[in-house]
Amino acid sequence: MVAITTELRDQLRLRRSADTSGQIFRGLLMLALLVAFASLLAMILTALTRSWPILSDRPLDFLFSNTSQNPDEAGVFQGIKGSVMLAAISSLVAFPVGIGGAIYLEEYAGDSRFSRLVQVLVRNLAGVPSIVYGLLGLAIFVQNLGGITGGRSVISGGLTLACLVLPVVIITTQEAIRAVPSELRQAGYGIGATQWEVIRSVVLPSAAPGILTGTVLSVARAVGEAAPILVVGAVSGFFQTGTLSFLEQTQSFFTALPMQIFAFTKQPAQTWGAHAAGASVAILLVVVALNSVAIWMRARLDQKLRK
Amino acid sequence: MSPELEVELKRSAPAPGAMAIPSLSRRGWNAALEIALYCFITMLVAIVEFYAGGFPGPSNWLIGLVIYALWSLNAFRRSTTPSAAFVQLAVVDESNVAASFGRMVLRTVARGTVLYALPILVFANNQIVWIAMFAAAAASVAFMERGRAPWDLIAGTTMVESYGSEATESTGPLRLSDLRVDGLRQRQNQRAARMLQFAGWGAIIVSLLIVWVVASEAFTFITDDDFSWSLLNVEGDRRGWFPRRNFYDIPTLLVGTLWVTGIAMVIAGPVGLGAAIYLSEYAKPKVRRIVKPVIETLASVPSVVIGMFAIFFISPSVLTLFFDDIGSFSVLAAGIGVGILTIPLVASISEDALRAVPMELRQAAYGLGSRKITVALRVVFPAALSGISAAFIVGISRAIGETMVVAIAAGGSGGTLFELNPTEDGQTITAAMASLGAGTDQVAGSGIAFQSLYFLGAMLFLITLILNVFSDAIVRRFREAY
Repeated sequence: MVAITTELRDQLRLRRSADTSGQIFRGLLMLALLVAFASLLAMILTALTRSWPILSDRPLDFLFSNTSQNPDEAGVFQGIKGSVMLAAISSLVAFPVGIGGAIYLEEYAGDSRFSRLVQVLVRNLAGVPSIVYGLLGLAIFVQNLGGITGGRSVISGGLTLACLVLPVVIITTQEAIRAVPSELRQAGYGIGATQWEVIRSVVLPSAAPGILTGTVLSVARAVGEAAPILVVGAVSGFFQTGTLSFLEQTQSFFTALPMQIFAFTKQPAQTWGAHAAGASVAILLVVVALNSVAIWMRARLDQKLRK
Repeated sequence: MSPELEVELKRSAPAPGAMAIPSLSRRGWNAALEIALYCFITMLVAIVEFYAGGFPGPSNWLIGLVIYALWSLNAFRRSTTPSAAFVQLAVVDESNVAASFGRMVLRTVARGTVLYALPILVFANNQIVWIAMFAAAAASVAFMERGRAPWDLIAGTTMVESYGSEATESTGPLRLSDLRVDGLRQRQNQRAARMLQFAGWGAIIVSLLIVWVVASEAFTFITDDDFSWSLLNVEGDRRGWFPRRNFYDIPTLLVGTLWVTGIAMVIAGPVGLGAAIYLSEYAKPKVRRIVKPVIETLASVPSVVIGMFAIFFISPSVLTLFFDDIGSFSVLAAGIGVGILTIPLVASISEDALRAVPMELRQAAYGLGSRKITVALRVVFPAALSGISAAFIVGISRAIGETMVVAIAAGGSGGTLFELNPTEDGQTITAAMASLGAGTDQVAGSGIAFQSLYFLGAMLFLITLILNVFSDAIVRRFREAY
């Protein structure tokens, strides 16, 4: 047996540094990573520098002003309000249905024909382009159910986004539930709990961080989507809600932050470019914040599982 | 056992018939849950009332009272012992001393007001009255129950449930009747199963609706009198996509879609795969822990922001270096934007595939004296090839379906001429849909332009469906391999 001497170690190190193709390959991989990093960095810098005229001049005014035809007065408050309402409505609908459906599929359905059908449908729904969901919303929520939703309203938009995030919620919840060790369930049954009691007090608490991560990510997705609500009919121009009450506003015109960015980019860039960039900064802050929460929760979950 | 502990245990042991008191955090959680549920129900009532144009007869206020009564009744029904039914009213402190009758009534009224006033604050017209009632009720509750945890003050009926689990003495041998699930729990179990199955139907309904809506409207488009198949393939100089002039040249959009998808994959393929190989084979855990979240952040960037990035940075600062006469809107810029958007998707799916390759394969190769690059390229990469190809297919499907980047950066809203050059304006299937959708008000009346939106949707749906089914089949096969 050869003892590993310092000489041998030096020799091995030398060979590693002489491995030119390996070094080049490693360099190329780093370059790929660098491209991804650089584009993210460039994007943030572009948003910041382009919006500097607004960020330095009237940051709060920009956030809390309504739409206007005057570039010096226009703000994104209606967009923020619309995005918050869209996120709230879609969460209220998609979370109970999605989480409930996932629990059913994982805990009750077993390997029935029904569950296999739903599994296939969910996986395919997750891959349907978001604008197709806009068509669904336009036909069902705007045209067929217009009497209840008020047509092109924030309710229609919210319900459309709920359909959009439903498969995401189902899939992430299923994964979280699948990760719960079956010993825990069996222990629950062993002390005489019914199936529902096991789900409620064993499975759901242990799967909660995973489920929460999925729901937070789906909220981020709903906040960032523009294509479906564009088709459903978010306003891209200027509008006033006047003195409508809170519930009346749910049936009238609406817009959302990504929709406003789209509208700003369609205007001449000299006067409205800063608005597009400023709104981008706002939406980036929201989405990155939501994302960090999700990443943090998953890291905590990892730690807990390791213990 | 120390004498102090013995005394402590004796004191804390529940007397027969006494109720176990849940922990502080448990009570806080119950209170929060109850308030949230109560707000939700009241909000639903207010919303139904609004959309129904007001209920005849009872006012908002009366409805709230009825809800509160039903809520309390439900709590009474669910409590396991008769005494527990009154705990909500009777339990005063941790030592289970009953309150006087007057105090019980006061607390019930105050709690009802607090619970009802909270949600109604948002919806009632005369908000000032409710704010006043809320303040008065909160103050009275706070005054009556000094020295208790703050959330106990507003926790109402749910506490019945948590207090209601009577401390039973479990002595003697286990009997069969101890194991039998009582009727209430059985009913709960069945009800839960039914409700959850109902939720499972949600996905089915959404899928069926999508297929039905898209297919039926596309069918209307094809069978319309104004429609002929020649409209979909206009030959000649004026070849292009102009729905408002009844030109529906599909090849125009297909060329745009192919360019955008191709350019996107030229960027996202190598970059995503390179990042994946680096993360799974080369990166140390510490580096991984930093790099992975950054890539995930890139994944969560909304596509409108990438569109903005494409016209404010990619076009003016990057593309003008290589092309002299490029405008601020081009298919090329849109393709690059879509590529950046697709990088994290390709990277994360490929990385999953690479990491699924068993460690033994790598160790066997190292044992034969292989270099790291040999292990990565000749062992791990071929083993993960099916997963990586699935990642590419999913990436292509995502790039085809991407809308906003193209709608912003490729120009050509309204309509576009047939154009093979990617440095010019152009449109993809999705961008054409977006510009039709954005102008649906104007389009709705004009001939079959509106239905062409659904025709494109059906096309897009079919293309992505085929790609997704394909990648799914690949992934499933590769999962079975290990």
